[in-house]
Amino acid sequence: MGKKVLIVDDSSTMRKIVTRSLRQAGLDFEAILEAGDGQEALQILGGETVDLILSDINMPNMDGLTFLKEKAANAAIKDIPVVMISTETGSDIIGEAKSLGAVGAIKKPFTPDQVNETIGSLI
Amino acid sequence: MSLTKQIIDATTDIFTTMVMMEVTPGEPITGRVNPFHASISGMVGMAGSHKGMLAIHIPEPVAMAITSNFLGLEVDAINEDVQDAIGELANMLGGNVKSFLTETGSDIKLSLPSTIFGQEYTFQCQDEVETIVVPFTSSDGKFLVELRLQSEA
Repeated sequence: MGKKVLIVDDSSTMRKIVTRSLRQAGLDFEAILEAGDGQEALQILGGETVDLILSDINMPNMDGLTFLKEKAANAAIKDIPVVMISTETGSDIIGEAKSLGAVGAIKKPFTPDQVNETIGSLI
Repeated sequence: MSLTKQIIDATTDIFTTMVMMEVTPGEPITGRVNPFHASISGMVGMAGSHKGMLAIHIPEPVAMAITSNFLGLEVDAINEDVQDAIGELANMLGGNVKSFLTETGSDIKLSLPSTIFGQEYTFQCQDEVETIVVPFTSSDGKFLVELRLQSEA
């Protein structure tokens, strides 16, 4: 069965760029789902099973770090790997994201090769 | 490395990597760059140990060409796609400048990006701040990247 990925970013531009990068990197997903913030991502995860989540950090309504906390508290989804894709690459912020369960981080701007290097082994 | 060089490197990197467009930096501008005509400006604010804002000011035809390249679709008006794309450019530039100013990331907070556009508008910030404005040239025209920064350090 094919894999599913959920892209969480408030920018529709960035969701399209991430989708394009996944395809250019040759990463084959059966479905690519999109959410505009952490709250919407949790709603989607309430009804969909995904294999990987790619999440921004700075978002309205529910940011990426709060999303990680909420996800960690939900037994049904806590084990889904999350990779942060963000302009936020400071050691404190990435450290906090990893302590909350993120398994990697990709800095914007990024190339398809960089996306492949970080998430290729996760799917 | 100077902030000016950081802005030049970050802008060049973002345009080459994400927009698939070559851009060439010009000599930094001193003095007023307002008002803007038939343009769109994307900006992010910075708060914390450094206060200020990072903005990118782009004439409408150039903004539409950038968005077309960025998203791989035809654009013929300043619509939501253009506003989102230009806001995201400001966001990436702001994040890059933030990483230059702080290693940990926790002492500066970035706002969510916003955009303004129109036939004539003025972009105004506090006067008593360090201002860096760098012009860039692309095959579709020129645009400006502006950093205004007040350091509390």
